[in-house]
Amino acid sequence: MALLAAVLIGVLLTEQTVFTAYSVTLGRVALVGLVALGLTVVILMGELDLSVASTLALAGVVTASIPDLGLGILAGLAVGVVVGVVNAFLVAVIGINSFIATLGMLFFLRGLALVISNEAPIKLNNVEAGIAFGQPLIGPITPRILVFILVFIGLQIFIARIRVGREFLAVGGNRQAARDAGIPVKRRIFTGFIISGVVAAGAGVMNTLERTAADPIAGSTVLLASFAAAIIGGNYLKGGRGSVVGTLIGAASLGIIQVALTLAAVQVPIQQIFIGLLLLVAVTTDPNNLRAVISSIRTLRTGRGKVAEPSVATNRSTSS
Amino acid sequence: MGDPLTQVNALATSEAPNKEISTGAKVLAWMADNGIFVLTAVLIAVAVIGVEGFASLQNIADVFHRAAPIGIVAVGMTFVVISGNYLDLSVVAQVATSAVILIAVSNEYGYIPAILAAMLAAAVFGIVNGVAVGYFKANAVIVTLSTTYIGLGLLRFFSGGSIFFGPYESPLASFGAGKLGPVPYSAIVLVIMTILLSLLLTRTNFGFTVRSFGVNERATRLGGTNTGLVIIGAFLVTAFSAMIAGFVLAAFSNTAVSAMSTGYDFRALAAIIVGGTSVFGGKGSVPRTLLGVVFVSVLTNVLVLLNISFGYQQMALGFLIAAAVSIDALARRAGKK
Amino acid sequence: MRKSRLVLAPAAMLAAAALVLTGCATEDASTGSSDSGSSDSSGDTGGDTGDDTLKVYALLPQGNDQPYGTTYLPPMQAKAAELGIELTITNSEYDGDKQASECEIAVADSETDGIILWPAIADSIRPCLEAANAAGIPVWITNADVNPEDTGLTYGYSGTDSYGQGAASAEMMCEFAGGADIGIIQINGLTGNSVASLRGAGFRETVASECPNVTILAEQPGNWNKDESQIAASEMLTAVGVENVQGMYAADDSMVAGGIAALEARGLAVEDFIITSIGNTFLGNPLVIDGKLDGTVFQSSSWDGENAVVGIYRAMTGDTSLGRDDDGSVLYMPNPKVTIDNATDPSVAPEW
Repeated sequence: MALLAAVLIGVLLTEQTVFTAYSVTLGRVALVGLVALGLTVVILMGELDLSVASTLALAGVVTASIPDLGLGILAGLAVGVVVGVVNAFLVAVIGINSFIATLGMLFFLRGLALVISNEAPIKLNNVEAGIAFGQPLIGPITPRILVFILVFIGLQIFIARIRVGREFLAVGGNRQAARDAGIPVKRRIFTGFIISGVVAAGAGVMNTLERTAADPIAGSTVLLASFAAAIIGGNYLKGGRGSVVGTLIGAASLGIIQVALTLAAVQVPIQQIFIGLLLLVAVTTDPNNLRAVISSIRTLRTGRGKVAEPSVATNRSTSS
Repeated sequence: MGDPLTQVNALATSEAPNKEISTGAKVLAWMADNGIFVLTAVLIAVAVIGVEGFASLQNIADVFHRAAPIGIVAVGMTFVVISGNYLDLSVVAQVATSAVILIAVSNEYGYIPAILAAMLAAAVFGIVNGVAVGYFKANAVIVTLSTTYIGLGLLRFFSGGSIFFGPYESPLASFGAGKLGPVPYSAIVLVIMTILLSLLLTRTNFGFTVRSFGVNERATRLGGTNTGLVIIGAFLVTAFSAMIAGFVLAAFSNTAVSAMSTGYDFRALAAIIVGGTSVFGGKGSVPRTLLGVVFVSVLTNVLVLLNISFGYQQMALGFLIAAAVSIDALARRAGKK
Repeated sequence: MRKSRLVLAPAAMLAAAALVLTGCATEDASTGSSDSGSSDSSGDTGGDTGDDTLKVYALLPQGNDQPYGTTYLPPMQAKAAELGIELTITNSEYDGDKQASECEIAVADSETDGIILWPAIADSIRPCLEAANAAGIPVWITNADVNPEDTGLTYGYSGTDSYGQGAASAEMMCEFAGGADIGIIQINGLTGNSVASLRGAGFRETVASECPNVTILAEQPGNWNKDESQIAASEMLTAVGVENVQGMYAADDSMVAGGIAALEARGLAVEDFIITSIGNTFLGNPLVIDGKLDGTVFQSSSWDGENAVVGIYRAMTGDTSLGRDDDGSVLYMPNPKVTIDNATDPSVAPEW
């Protein structure tokens, strides 16, 4: 966290355009951030959703395939619901691990998008509506960014304030305890995956509107970047710890850095190396991790066989 | 599998020891553990009977060619997955780096310097990943993602992204094209690695600790010493496997380019998990990964033989992955009742 | 709680920074080669921006991650240095959304004098063009042209024509087939990629219309990789039966090399097959000379990179204007067919 803050200050000092043209930066953040926010909900529950990238592409393709725009948008969002339901069914009812279930869906939906689109981009029927969607609405803020902000607020309130949302963290922290406490775990899993699916689908629909065409292979970079955003934002991959705000900060940091590097005309391979180094250092110098290193060094010094200082921050369910 | 770890696992999940177990439940339990064997056998049987040309020597060689590079990566990456660290995304960068180093360096300086340079690169990858995950206890997904970015960035920066060509009649090319009967040398490499890595995982203290990491990380860290080193070891195994996969790929293609290894991360992971290794770690084995690789390679081969387009291929792959694991899960549930 | 403090601190900093700087929105930021944090060097031409240097964004969908892009960049950068242009190069890796975001950055950068655009997806590039026009920034298209209805928003185009390349390769196939009834297998590029789709369509449709005696028996993607193409080609041969195949087409030379390797691995005589592809690369040209590859289409990455810069320079200095009516606002890359007759000619020396 501290490292990212330091980098952001650096950006502040050298590339102010990142902040003066904040709608562009927000747009870049929203590219990954929207999907990452939906993903966070699933991660908090202790599950994973790898299918989001393909859901994004498929929803866009479906929307563009339907001549009537309103119907198309609804259909695209419906794709998200269906995907979420299928994912949840595989995880909660059949009992497959969500990693593999959503990995299978990732492949399946990617194939479906290619089949429906005949392997080529599909233009929107109503190009003017698409272009209008890309026009600024409030100040320089476009509708897509607005939706991003609203989704963030909505999910933050949901997870932090609303009982059903708060239960997500319990489900992730200790599933058995959550069950014992009377939380309908299966239902929560369904809710979580549906949220993730709909948000990813929404991202796909909006991208298609702004681009005025649907790309069947969209979202290839989004998958891992959204996981990165969630994890550097403090979300614990095994669930039970983290926050929506954290993901937002993670996504914002990544987006800001990318925009800054582009403005600074840094060569693309160097950009990659820089972001990689940043991620690596950020994730290893998290205070929790530093404490872990110090305790391991201490153990090494005090000799073999001694009990190590218990590592901090273990909401980890050891039953996994 | 009679090693202590599996027995402990079994005890922890089984019902009261004196309960009567019906034959039906026994069968289901067997299916739960070995469903993938059955599925692969069925797939191959269907292919041999139903798909013309599948059983030809040439096609069997093609299946092996498909299986070898991904398979070598997958059997190595099994160590990371079994240790409960999800996956190693940097295999994409590792395979490409190894292939490029082999061809580019051997063109100028010969094979020995090339192999040494590739080993150095693999060691760096393994150590960086291992230290970050093992000592700093950072999340493996992010760590390996960051090393992928760094690795690919460095590769593109230094190699400039160009294609490198091996000389036409080189020993490397002959190795890549060589076969023992219908079995390409690369597949033999895969089998040898499977055997060696399997022994490493099941018969050594190192392997035992890797697996116990996946079962119960906290207990492993408390009980053992130098557990960080074990994680480094797991990532080093993956890195060296990826290096060999890069060699095999470079030999087969007699070219090397940074974009060669796209998709290797998730394809290897799919094979590992279809084979029955749990993504949470602890359960699974290297031979199972090989089985998963065979399943996925045969499946893709059959789909191409049937002239099915790429989109439908992906759909079939995704569906069968989910189906294979579902059968596993359902059989396990039914067997417990 | 510690957690929320960790989260609030950078968030507050971000918010404060944004507010402060929005207030100073009229200030020109100093751009140039500085960046944040570590001591990376930027690799572009020119140092700090003066008022005389022209700043140009090159929005590309490939770069050092592909062999073609790798050899496209140096001539481009050399030309830019020659003309006193400061070049910022991006690589969206064929992601349409990422390129759109990079376009927004280019338009938002107050110092931008021109944009070189190589659309990742022609169908979705119009919003970028409109935004650039609204900001008064000239756009020159390189390599892959925009759709006909969008050409009026650009200042010109230089490049090749992926569909045309596929068609040219098909014309050679037709010519070599000489009216005989033959079956061929087709190896395509990465599925969903615009170059792959256009070349595939160009080949398929030209064969259908000009030499229907040639039948495409099977199509699979080779993903621009030699090794994947070799396996795919071999499997296709098994699927349709080797005896039914007399020819092969691949969308680029790396893939055709893989296909040829598949034939050789089966002990077949490659010269007996009619094989065409696209690129005339370091891999493909020798195959033509050896008589294994019957025809390929020369694509010059250096011509492409150079003329992109020449084009935007002319646009920025008023030599061409909006639309395609001016002289020299459309430059087609010469795409000579390369067969054994001209393969050693220096004018078609491979570049990538």
